[in-house]
Amino acid sequence: MNIPDSAQSFFSTASLERRIAELTILYEVSCALQKTLDEEKALNTILAGVTAGRGLGFNRAFILLVDSKEEWLEGRLAMGPSSPEEASRMWRELRTKHQTLRELLRSLNESGIRKDLRVNEIISKFRISLADSQNSLIKIMRSREASLAGEDCFLPQNLPMDLSLSQLLGINDFAVAPLYLAERDLGLLIADNAITQNPIDIRNLRLLQIYAQEASTAIQNTRFCSELKEKIELLQSANQAIHESQEQLLRAERLSTIGRMSALLAHQIRTPLVSIGGFARRLMREISPDDPRREEMEVIYSEVGHLERLVGEVLGYSKSSDAERKSVNANALVRSIAASMKEEIDKRSIRAVMNLCPEIPDIEVNELQLRQALMNLIANAIDAMPSGGTLTFDTIADKNYIEIGVSDTGMGIKQEYWNKLFTPFFTTKEGGTGLGLAIVSQVVDNHNGSLRFESIPGQGTAFYIRLAVHPDKKSAAHLSPNI
Amino acid sequence: MKTILVADDDKNLRRLYKAELEAEGYRIMLAENGLQATDIIERENPDVVVMDIRMPEVDGLEAMAKILKKNRRVPIILNSAYSYFQDDFLTWAADAYIMKSADLQPLKEKIREILCSSATTSAAV
Repeated sequence: MNIPDSAQSFFSTASLERRIAELTILYEVSCALQKTLDEEKALNTILAGVTAGRGLGFNRAFILLVDSKEEWLEGRLAMGPSSPEEASRMWRELRTKHQTLRELLRSLNESGIRKDLRVNEIISKFRISLADSQNSLIKIMRSREASLAGEDCFLPQNLPMDLSLSQLLGINDFAVAPLYLAERDLGLLIADNAITQNPIDIRNLRLLQIYAQEASTAIQNTRFCSELKEKIELLQSANQAIHESQEQLLRAERLSTIGRMSALLAHQIRTPLVSIGGFARRLMREISPDDPRREEMEVIYSEVGHLERLVGEVLGYSKSSDAERKSVNANALVRSIAASMKEEIDKRSIRAVMNLCPEIPDIEVNELQLRQALMNLIANAIDAMPSGGTLTFDTIADKNYIEIGVSDTGMGIKQEYWNKLFTPFFTTKEGGTGLGLAIVSQVVDNHNGSLRFESIPGQGTAFYIRLAVHPDKKSAAHLSPNI
Repeated sequence: MKTILVADDDKNLRRLYKAELEAEGYRIMLAENGLQATDIIERENPDVVVMDIRMPEVDGLEAMAKILKKNRRVPIILNSAYSYFQDDFLTWAADAYIMKSADLQPLKEKIREILCSSATTSAAV
């Protein structure tokens, strides 16, 4: 078999051993990185792998990362001695403490991350805008290819060297490896041999690039993890809020039970109070005014009165019906009721017509009652047209009054029934309750309004409810057939 | 002498109302529930009915509905310890709704008022 020279050297023992050593480093660092989900600890581990003698063996290492808003490339963490003296002391210490890279990495984050080193002072000065697309470091990050810095340029990209950069690092020769994952540029890993001044060869650079890819995955993992953690915290707080509102609901439920119980109790007390007070008053009348027992009876009677008032307050029975009044637009009310009864209207093939006054002032009414009254009128109108017809809604208004009309083209009302129409339980309908128009009349009465109707047998019936816009200006309530 | 029917399930209240209204010069009949009340109204034709609402068997509102359906023109005063019945449209069919109280004056006045107005109506007829 004829193996080319280059391949022969590739498979040489020394080369194989080196490759095994490199893979071992990657393996050890990757194992250590898997153990941490904290970004800073991961960065520290990455830096240790770059600078450890049994790792990549660089003197110093720097990590720059893109910020969360993706606006800046910023220095984050660095590792390495600041002088030959410090270097020999640190390295000696490390050699005696840790036999292997694994041991070093394991103990690394136990003692905390050292940020007082001179290298961290350097790293803190890195801040490059991502918008600066001409910047060589930004270009290298985006090229996703490791680069070797020399005296005047970066290779192989052949980008110009920024003098301030070499001044900041205090050295001309250094290696730069982009950190990236999928579509996302994460940052840069910079390594140099500022102490030993050992040259960085292409093999070191290639290894740094492979190493940077491992590091990128670890960095991204910690970020995913912290994002996940944030989301979990958000969920937890939402959960907490739900839990709290549930408790609030329970408390409210308990309070309302107590409320219902006390209302029940108050009602139960009322009847015996009537007996006690009523009989006390009777006895009081029978006792002569100078009898001292009369005063005692008066105490009983007046105390019962006090208790009755108390019970009344608990039940709030003296509430005014005005309290339930609110501002209502008659057109909106008519439309909403008509819509709610659409099914019945359609079923009888009835055509609904709206002649609504476009500018109608709002009225102060008990909406529930007025709605009930209008629904009763509409129900009657529908019943009057068993084989279809036209149902017309009118609203008219002036400054002081509004009038709502509901008319049908049905059978009409026989004149003999006219004076009984609003009597409770009077009905001409099979199965009718006889309460429909009685309720309409009572509702109109409650609002100090007036109610009139027009009816022609065989042609139809119309009812009109007239209400004051300002209910304080009372209008006399009256019921009158308008023939 | 005008006759008043008092329908109430509370024994003490029946006794009190009887004593107080008799003192006003009325003849008093008593019913313990709505069923008895409708029977007495049919038989005795009282001039005014004072009707409690919450009663066993047939309650006051049911009894009133029965009476009105038979087209009986008897004035009914609903008399209850509960205020919330006033929200019921059915109570509007009554001639008055008076809350129960140890002060019987409002009830007595309402009875007088109703008897007075029915006297004028009958006089007019």
